[in-house]
Amino acid sequence: MLRHFLNKPMVVRCAERCMRGRVRSPAVALMVAILFAISAHAAEVIPPTPSAYFNDYAGVVSKEAASRFNEQLAQFERDTSDQVVVAVFPKMQSESDIADYTQRVAQAWGVGQKGRRNGVVLFVFIQDRKMFIQVGYGLEGALPDVSAFNITEYVIKPPFVAGNYEAGLRAGINSILNTIRGEYKGSGATAREQRTTKRSPLWPLLFFGGLLLLSFLGGLHRTARRGFGISSKGSGWTIDWGNVLFFWLNLFLSGSSSRGGGGSSSSSSGFSSGGGSFGGGGAGSTW
Amino acid sequence: MNKFALGCGVLIAILLFVVVVAAIAIGGNYNRLVRLQQAVDQSWAQVQNVYQRRADLIPNLVNTVSGAANFEKSTLVEVTNARASVGRVQMQLDPNKAPTDAAQLEQFQAAQGQLSNALSRLLVVSERYPELKANQNFLSLQAQLEGTENRISVERGNFNKTVQDYNVAVRSFPTNLIAGMLGFPPKPFFNAQPGAEKPPPVQFNFGTPAPAPAATP
Repeated sequence: MLRHFLNKPMVVRCAERCMRGRVRSPAVALMVAILFAISAHAAEVIPPTPSAYFNDYAGVVSKEAASRFNEQLAQFERDTSDQVVVAVFPKMQSESDIADYTQRVAQAWGVGQKGRRNGVVLFVFIQDRKMFIQVGYGLEGALPDVSAFNITEYVIKPPFVAGNYEAGLRAGINSILNTIRGEYKGSGATAREQRTTKRSPLWPLLFFGGLLLLSFLGGLHRTARRGFGISSKGSGWTIDWGNVLFFWLNLFLSGSSSRGGGGSSSSSSGFSSGGGSFGGGGAGSTW
Repeated sequence: MNKFALGCGVLIAILLFVVVVAAIAIGGNYNRLVRLQQAVDQSWAQVQNVYQRRADLIPNLVNTVSGAANFEKSTLVEVTNARASVGRVQMQLDPNKAPTDAAQLEQFQAAQGQLSNALSRLLVVSERYPELKANQNFLSLQAQLEGTENRISVERGNFNKTVQDYNVAVRSFPTNLIAGMLGFPPKPFFNAQPGAEKPPPVQFNFGTPAPAPAATP
């Protein structure tokens, strides 16, 4: 376990870190920022925010287990408001240290609620044989680095070494949840569920009114341009009801067809960022 | 006469308008600068916080390590001295306000850098003591120390980001015209440690027994 420490002594890591803060004047700062943006862009990929709690991009876990884990983590957010996300990647897309890289990713995803900052992300990189638990600011007390290290080293690692990823992830998720349970109380809904229910009733009304106006305008326009409406002799400013009907029919048809396509994703519990932030807490292991 | 009065009135109105617009502009800029400065001070407090966390871990670490049979005393002395010098430098800094003097920040950084070096040397040396590697207390301290180093890196990055936002605001036109008057000097960043731009030399030390076989998982 001490090998990763030897591989990258603190001096090297410090050097990597300090490079980021190496700026003297605004002009130099800008140049350095651009250079780093380019080099970081070439070397490092921050994956987009996932839409599920459990994300197996490496395909090491069965479909049923994945959806079970996902449901377990969604229910945990309803109960405690803590957002726990698991991301299994085939490979780390960065040259930096795993602790630095996963901090940036977790921060970009905004896991955890905004005020409580209670997010945890378990990153696993299969080909690199590395994993890391990133702990949000608000859970550093409940899940200190030592606990995170114990979970990766003594709970997840043994099954991983044996090649059983599903068992390792199950045990890891369970012990993370057990460790942080009780720190916060949930509202009974996930961030995504709250967002959809909290929407003001005025907006759909306004939206509908806008559509109605649009459909009438559409009808009006057509007849005016054609010059001969059914009932128009002089001005032509009348509404073509056939056109209006056509507009609504079209809308409903396209609406129902698109809903049919994307229906499967809304049935399972989806993850939505709560806006949490990360300060580098957590620990990881290699296997 | 009447015309003259009218002209005067218009002139006064124009002047008043200009003054009001200038006041609004200066007020808005002032408020923005205050907000940015507040962000810098807050991130500075966070930096101090994580460095303090590291300093608090050290007595425990030193105690645990010195318990190991005939542990090299020189590395321990080095860590203790570095921590003391960090304390001395910190005494001169206001914990609630980010430093405005580049030399002061440089000094702070140098002291912390020395402590980082001493600590990493201590951890490397401790690899040679199997007794320590089996010690649960030492392992947990090591995990905490590593986590603290990660936090330091994150907070330093955040600090540099907020200072950059602040400095851009202070130095760009037209805010730069009033920033000096209102007392908003540009603030220094954390710089790279001297020598950080070149990779550390790799030394193959065949004289001492390598700990690598024992460290494989």
